[in-house]
Amino acid sequence: MKHVDAAVIGGGILGCFTARNLRQWSISTLLIEKEDDVCREISKANSAIVYAGYDNKPGSLKAEMTVRGNANMEKLCAELEVPFDRCGSMMVSFGEKGEQTLRKKLEQGRANGVPGLELLTGEEARAREPMLSENVTAALYSSTTGTVNPWQLGIAAYENALQNGCEAWLGTAVTAITREEEGYRIDTDREPIRCKYIINCAGMYADWVQAMVHPVPVELILNGSDYIVLDSRARKPRHILFQERENGKGLTVVPCVEGNLLLDSPARPLGQPWAVSAGGLEKIHALAPQLLPELELEMTIRSFGAVRPNPRSADGKNLPDYCIETPAPDFLSFIGIKTPGLTCADELGRYAAETCAEYLHAEKAPAFDPRRRAIPAMKEDPDWYEIVCRCGNVTKGQIREAIARGALTVDAVKRRVGSGMGRCQGSRCTLKIEKLLEEYRHGAL
Amino acid sequence: MEHYDILIIGGGVAGIAAAKAAGGARVLLAESRPQLGGVLLQCAHHGFGKDKSGTEYAAELLQDFPEEITLALNTTVLSVSENRTALLSGRGFGRKRIGFSRLILATGCREIPMGALPIAGTRPKGVYTAGQMQELMNLHGFVPEGPAVILGSGDLGLIMARQLAQAGIDVTLVEKKDSCGGMTRNRRCLEEYPIRLLCSDTIREVRGYPHITGCVTASGECLPCKTLLIAAGMVPERELVSHLGNPDWLHICGNCCAVHPMVEAVANEGKQAGIAATEKLGGAL
Repeated sequence: MKHVDAAVIGGGILGCFTARNLRQWSISTLLIEKEDDVCREISKANSAIVYAGYDNKPGSLKAEMTVRGNANMEKLCAELEVPFDRCGSMMVSFGEKGEQTLRKKLEQGRANGVPGLELLTGEEARAREPMLSENVTAALYSSTTGTVNPWQLGIAAYENALQNGCEAWLGTAVTAITREEEGYRIDTDREPIRCKYIINCAGMYADWVQAMVHPVPVELILNGSDYIVLDSRARKPRHILFQERENGKGLTVVPCVEGNLLLDSPARPLGQPWAVSAGGLEKIHALAPQLLPELELEMTIRSFGAVRPNPRSADGKNLPDYCIETPAPDFLSFIGIKTPGLTCADELGRYAAETCAEYLHAEKAPAFDPRRRAIPAMKEDPDWYEIVCRCGNVTKGQIREAIARGALTVDAVKRRVGSGMGRCQGSRCTLKIEKLLEEYRHGAL
Repeated sequence: MEHYDILIIGGGVAGIAAAKAAGGARVLLAESRPQLGGVLLQCAHHGFGKDKSGTEYAAELLQDFPEEITLALNTTVLSVSENRTALLSGRGFGRKRIGFSRLILATGCREIPMGALPIAGTRPKGVYTAGQMQELMNLHGFVPEGPAVILGSGDLGLIMARQLAQAGIDVTLVEKKDSCGGMTRNRRCLEEYPIRLLCSDTIREVRGYPHITGCVTASGECLPCKTLLIAAGMVPERELVSHLGNPDWLHICGNCCAVHPMVEAVANEGKQAGIAATEKLGGAL
């Protein structure tokens, strides 16, 4: 039997930040994740956007946390040594109806205290973003919108949580939760756990986890979305672009910190989870030239499918704000946290940790160190001169360091050092990385 | 900073031929792999020179390789600058910038991966590029699970179809055009082995997770498979010099210039580049 104060179920970006925030208190913490690595599934397939906060209703927790999360992002990324690009965004429209939406968003943003918002004419927008189509009639410019790599940020928070004494059980599925006289017993496919407090960060399974021990008054609906990634050599806009269409949101275009361009199609019904829909790819190909006529779609290097959980009330209505459930004073659930999830991961994590600390009467942990060191680009060592991934110029030293920090698979290495993400999509480095993983396992035995 | 008359990037057929032709000049040849030979090293099939295998052809090509050439193996060129310097990084070489008078780019080509194609569905294990599978089978003794589907019936697709069929694996080739591509001698595998060829069709969707279980073609047929090879073409690898325009000191040869079906053409282009680069050095020698 394992004893801890708090158990965090789910190691997505939210679970990682919850764990990191819990360790700012004298709360012993165990992170439980069913996959063999953190930040998979929803945390690895999303738009990588740090939102400004004009999309959310004034007075909502979403609005408040997004504005604050956005403002804190530089500090957070500096602490965790993760690249963040405050590149700004434009929400563009193609006519009067769309412009009404932009004006509404502008007002909403001002009410939320979002700085740096400006309504631009089509011409003004093109002056700042020359790739934009001639048909764009107006744009809502937001100077504070930015982009960060979602899994890099999540993994950094995870590593920092571990540094600060958090324990993690990866590859461990929760099979049952039972109420005890004090706290809970969590059965897993490993040892059972006894804890005083549970924070449920299980993403698309959060309803199911809560239902193991408490009733769930909401329903989690899953939607899908499709993405295309363009090679870093492709022409790209300077800003994040949102296409406002008469019949709803169109394409989202993100110039990522890695130099690639990410194109996201409008949401669709789920279909097969994590699979790319042919319709979604076609939609991107149809919408992209309307927004950016010179976009080089022929430089596509990857497409992937994403899953987005949407919590709904029992009567089938979409919930306007985050769905944070506290069915008991010692149980907190984030149910289907989606946009803005990345922007608010630290805010939500802090919220959960403070709620938990209050319940446990925990003290602040004075030894907490917020600094996490990134895997360096270079060291004076033969391993760090040897290039393994030729598209991304990733060295053997970087890969060995990623493995030493807990990467167990080629995919886990990829998400720590960017190997296999370039134009050959790992066709030349996968085998070499598999060998390094094998060498490590062999040495570790 | 070290300075060379000629920097050759790539130690495959074109780079080797260029180095051999650059007699008398001070040459540095950088190759990212541990030995010279490039893609030849993974070619067990015959058809190089007078029906030699790739490895045999490479051995022959390397027989009279000039000793005075400085070799930087396991060394990757990270960037080339307009001021005729290049940043190299390699296990034994270290990471340093060198100067050169002329540059011969012999970086070959790379395969188009599945990600670049408009294919819907899952992103499972069991999908490889054809060349990646060739390397796995011929250099690492790997045998994939059948049945296999190969997208693209060009030379590499056909060579791999033959090799898989020889290993007793059930193979279906899917070809976008209305007839099989590739050279006649590579097409012969279709008569010699029970390989199925679907023309005027392509793969629209991949199924199965975490491992591939099948592909759906554009015509709607479901092809069960445990291995999918993408043989949808090659792209010349020129990103290192794409920002340079067309300076007088740059020679581009072999498959990074244009993808050649015959190795002799690559060797000849390499040789010409070596001769031209040496001649242009002129009085510098």
